[in-house]
Amino acid sequence: MPPLLEVDDLHMHFFTRDGVVKAVDGVSFTLEHGQTLGVVGESGSGKSVTALSIMRLIPEPPGKVVKGDIRFKGESILAMSEREQRGLRGNRIAMIFQDPMTSLNPVHRVGRQIAEPLRLHKDMDRKAAWAAAVELLAEVGIPQARERARGYPHEFSGGMRQRAMIAMALACGPDILIADEPTTALDVTIQAQILELMQEIQQRTKSAIILITHDLGVVADMADNILVMYGGKAVEFGAADDVFYRPLHPYTWGLLESLPRHDVDDKGALSPIKGQPPSLINLPPGCSFAPRCAYATRSCGDEQAGLVEMEPGHFSSCRFAGDAGFLAQFENRSSYLSDYAQRDSQ
Amino acid sequence: MTSLLRVDGLTKHFPVSHGVFSSRLGGSVKAVDGISFAIGRGETLGLVGESGCGKSTTGRCINRLHEPSSGSIEFDGTDVRRLRGRRLKAFRRDVQFIFQDPYASLNPRMTFGEIMAEPLVIHGIGSRRERQEQAKDMLKTVGLNPEHIHRYPHEFSGGQRQRVGIARALMLRPKMIICDEPVSALDVSIQAQIINLLEELQEEFGLTYLFIAHDLSMIRYISDDTIVMYLGTLVEKSETEELFENPLHPYTIGLLEAVPIADPDYEKSHKHDLLSGEVPSPINPAPGCRFSSRCKFAKEICRKETPVLKDAGGGHMVACHMVHSEEW
Repeated sequence: MPPLLEVDDLHMHFFTRDGVVKAVDGVSFTLEHGQTLGVVGESGSGKSVTALSIMRLIPEPPGKVVKGDIRFKGESILAMSEREQRGLRGNRIAMIFQDPMTSLNPVHRVGRQIAEPLRLHKDMDRKAAWAAAVELLAEVGIPQARERARGYPHEFSGGMRQRAMIAMALACGPDILIADEPTTALDVTIQAQILELMQEIQQRTKSAIILITHDLGVVADMADNILVMYGGKAVEFGAADDVFYRPLHPYTWGLLESLPRHDVDDKGALSPIKGQPPSLINLPPGCSFAPRCAYATRSCGDEQAGLVEMEPGHFSSCRFAGDAGFLAQFENRSSYLSDYAQRDSQ
Repeated sequence: MTSLLRVDGLTKHFPVSHGVFSSRLGGSVKAVDGISFAIGRGETLGLVGESGCGKSTTGRCINRLHEPSSGSIEFDGTDVRRLRGRRLKAFRRDVQFIFQDPYASLNPRMTFGEIMAEPLVIHGIGSRRERQEQAKDMLKTVGLNPEHIHRYPHEFSGGQRQRVGIARALMLRPKMIICDEPVSALDVSIQAQIINLLEELQEEFGLTYLFIAHDLSMIRYISDDTIVMYLGTLVEKSETEELFENPLHPYTIGLLEAVPIADPDYEKSHKHDLLSGEVPSPINPAPGCRFSSRCKFAKEICRKETPVLKDAGGGHMVACHMVHSEEW
């Protein structure tokens, strides 16, 4: 059986006056029912554009898929008619956005907005859809759902709005829920509540989640698989444990090492990645991370292969990922890995 | 240890009106409600709390961007609240700000050089040429190319802009910098760069920081002491490691518990014990402990009497009736 969702070497470029912006430039991953994929990377790494491409929400032009494919249950989404795409969007594949204030319509009652996909995709009449919306609000933990459904977004707090967004996304029982930085605008205690809610929903509905975030803590908590993106490219993909404990790409090393560590007594200086993220118009040739990579050699400027499977289910785009001597450089230097190794042996 | 800044019973209430056409007042937002703390010279005090807890208002009251409603602020032996006119202006040279959003806090129509020279212009320091030279030096100090003084903010990334925000704050050689969420708008790999820079500069210029943030891991990394605010009140105050290793206030415990750790094994074996509910409105809060509506340990006394900060041992201060009660 084909996977639930398969993104295959996707290239989404934007053709602008200033040049071609290679926002997504070679991203591949697969997603199965009940799985959570964490997508991490810095701003401008192409995380959101990947998600919007799956939803077919990128206006074309200026955007264009110049290469690659997105398949939902084996069928190419890109080849579908606009009508077929509409049948998927908000129905089989739903999305939650970062800022619940700007993504809810301020002039409509919350209940009506949640009922909208039900009327559209499930042909429910107004009354039935409203009743279902009230039920959904209760399900996502909004007290007095009947009254709150009649309220407007501005009467909801940030956390409540995000719950309402989740209710809307869940309305049609989607196979895939794409959450683009769903908790970034929220306080940590509310973030924890929303993440727990998403986990509960997933256990109940067996839907797959694509969780886009820059917070490695959130991915560690939620994700089964992790996709690491840099400069529009997928640089590492694998099971969460593999990516955290046996990372195969220097960018992933850099991310993990940038975090302040508290289980060690020595508070030495943090180890940031040097330099600045690349401009997507002038991507360096070859590996786009090479200019910031502490381990780069001259050959990193050559044509890049993209993701290569280094061990079962664990992919890296680094040309040296298969070189045990190269990996040892990080393992020897990193306090990060040696701490975990020490802990495991205890 | 002498403290550079001593804040005592600081209160800031904002009146709430019933609308543009009404002169009636509807009580007040008690943004900051009687907090006290001190920062030692050359030290870093971390201030944590969720949005709306009054952390930014506290920062702004310190250099009188907001006029405090009551309480006293003593900076380097001066009573800040009595300062007027020229002496207030001179005091503000000593206390500078770094803001959260490096996109909003730099004027897009000014070059880096102009942005950095502006504090000197305002305080009438140096000639044009001297100011330019100082700006160049400062760019180098914060790790940017001195040639960039003629460039504009839009040409640079968030991390580079934040370096300019820091350079501007340093131009007047302040004694203290209030860092209001200085890294939360930046990417992870850049956050570490900026934090390292702040630490180097502290060393080099002997700076004192008030570091306001909601990111607990950064607070833990950079602060000597940490204070925790909830809805305008101080709930806990302690040496940083002690606070994180041994949090006492139920809110602090809940806050720490809510942070996911970047370690899948830990997350798999750990069930987060979450705080329920949300932060209530700061307009006319109920009497008693502000946290009692969300606290699972709350008893009757918590809803009646406001707890005060008391030492729970070794200078670890906590404002909670239950922590200080017999049965705890």
